Amino acid sequence: MGPLPDVRPSAVGGRGAAATSVLRTEDLTVRFDGLTALNGVNFELQRGELRAVIGPNGAGKSTFFNCLTGVLRPTAGRILFGGDDITDLGPDRISQKGIARSYQITNILPNVTTLENVRIAAQSRRHRWSMLRHYRAYHDLIAEAEAVLDAVGLLMKANELAANLSHGEQRNLEIGIALATKPTVLCLDEPTAGMSAAETRDTMELVRRIAKDLTILIVEHDMQVVMGLADRITVLHYGQVLAEGAPAEIQRNPRVQEVYLKI
Amino acid sequence: MTKRDTRSFWIGFAVIVALLAAAPLVLPPFWRHFVTEILIWGLLAMSSDLLIGYTGLISFGHSAFFGLGVYGAAAALLLVAPPNLFLAIALGLAAAALVAGFVAFFSTRLRDIYFAITTLIFSQIFYVIIFTWTSVTGGENGLTFTRPGLGVPGLYVVRFTPTTMHWFVLAVVALSYLVLRRITRSPFGMVLQAIRENEGRTRAIGYHVEHYKIVAVMLSGVFAGLAGVLYALQNEFAAADFVFFLVSGETVIYNVMGGIGTLVGPIVGAAFFLLLREALSRFFTEYYLIPLGVIFIAMVIFMPQGLLGFARRWLNR
Repeated sequence: MGPLPDVRPSAVGGRGAAATSVLRTEDLTVRFDGLTALNGVNFELQRGELRAVIGPNGAGKSTFFNCLTGVLRPTAGRILFGGDDITDLGPDRISQKGIARSYQITNILPNVTTLENVRIAAQSRRHRWSMLRHYRAYHDLIAEAEAVLDAVGLLMKANELAANLSHGEQRNLEIGIALATKPTVLCLDEPTAGMSAAETRDTMELVRRIAKDLTILIVEHDMQVVMGLADRITVLHYGQVLAEGAPAEIQRNPRVQEVYLKI
Repeated sequence: MTKRDTRSFWIGFAVIVALLAAAPLVLPPFWRHFVTEILIWGLLAMSSDLLIGYTGLISFGHSAFFGLGVYGAAAALLLVAPPNLFLAIALGLAAAALVAGFVAFFSTRLRDIYFAITTLIFSQIFYVIIFTWTSVTGGENGLTFTRPGLGVPGLYVVRFTPTTMHWFVLAVVALSYLVLRRITRSPFGMVLQAIRENEGRTRAIGYHVEHYKIVAVMLSGVFAGLAGVLYALQNEFAAADFVFFLVSGETVIYNVMGGIGTLVGPIVGAAFFLLLREALSRFFTEYYLIPLGVIFIAMVIFMPQGLLGFARRWLNR
């Protein structure tokens, strides 16, 4: 696997200022008729950190993610990204702001090549309305897509149909698609879902490598997966923040132990 | 595409255009007219393929865009003296683009069958308006006008003969094909295909899907309008029937028969359908729709990728 493409943040804030917050939620609340999926979540993500959000099934992790990426509009509360209120923006606008996401259930373009999956994502940042030149004439986008595929270990499969990749490869393509949009914050929704132990290890290694240049928010329900990986962990339970801290603190936290042992 | 593919494409393109250019010189008048019409309906079908095959939107409203092209050209030819070919084209395209923009604005908020139904309903509204607004559109009787000559008015104008008309249509359709082909392979065209493949994901990587759909519908509408202009020029009349949903339905059938997502397929589909209808109506007189329907259903079942897809598979065997 080659070096990472340049995916450094550019849009938001100044780099180097220690512990600047990039993403913040204030009293984020989501109610689906009768059910409160998120209940007043206050959350703050620091630039450059690798944060894991964990919690048992139904804790509100995916709902939280869907709010951050514009899929769901919260019932109450605000989401701030680098000082801008992005609460009411749709997924495309949020992506353009610099938040990218991968999906828990593989969500790719199945009937085009692996390269095209990533190239079209890179193209969302420039040349996206060009109509009169062949798309392959934009060599910069192809080079960028190849660099991303190299980074996620799929360059050898560039010309395969995405549908023909193995499950594990498709999961990594997910991450590649998100990376190709050059995000400031990368949200990964259970990137190792359905993976074998070996694949999980490789993907976690991949996440560790890309985390050097990015702010990453990773959702997991398996606490062990993120223990050695995350800088900090936020535990969601019944739509509320149950605990937040360094992995070791979280592991020792009696309330967290209680929640996880009950499951 | 490799260099060799590019070369064989241009050779194939040149051969087919040459054959179609030679057609009016050898064919009797009836068939000459028939081939010109196939090209015009082929252009309409091709315009619709941009939506069906590339964006994954099935439009049942292409008759509106086609019809507005016909009426736009008619208006230019009736209101401005002396009639001007380029003005007719410009007004036809503008009318089609305007209507396409209007329809697109509302219909692209909806997906799948809801999109199809919305386009159908809008086209029928335009049909009713045109059919009933007799003082402007001629209503049931339609409008007749005379075809302008080719050239720069006041300087040099040649009258169209059936043969030069055919060549003019062929040139416009061939050029439209090349433009549409380029559009479908441009960055914009790749976004349309991404929308067809996975709309949610396309949105999530930062594309404003609705804007792309609106532009796609308008582009498609402009080319459908161009087909309408050509039809008006060739036949020198406009009728409300061209805005009726039958035209939209046949456009979809050309696409399905020929093979969607290929641009060429819909032209092949139009040619096949029109020839089949002509042949069947000679044998079965007024019952020709029955065998036509049976054949269409059989084709959908046995060659779901259309004639072109079937031919490709058969050639690759």
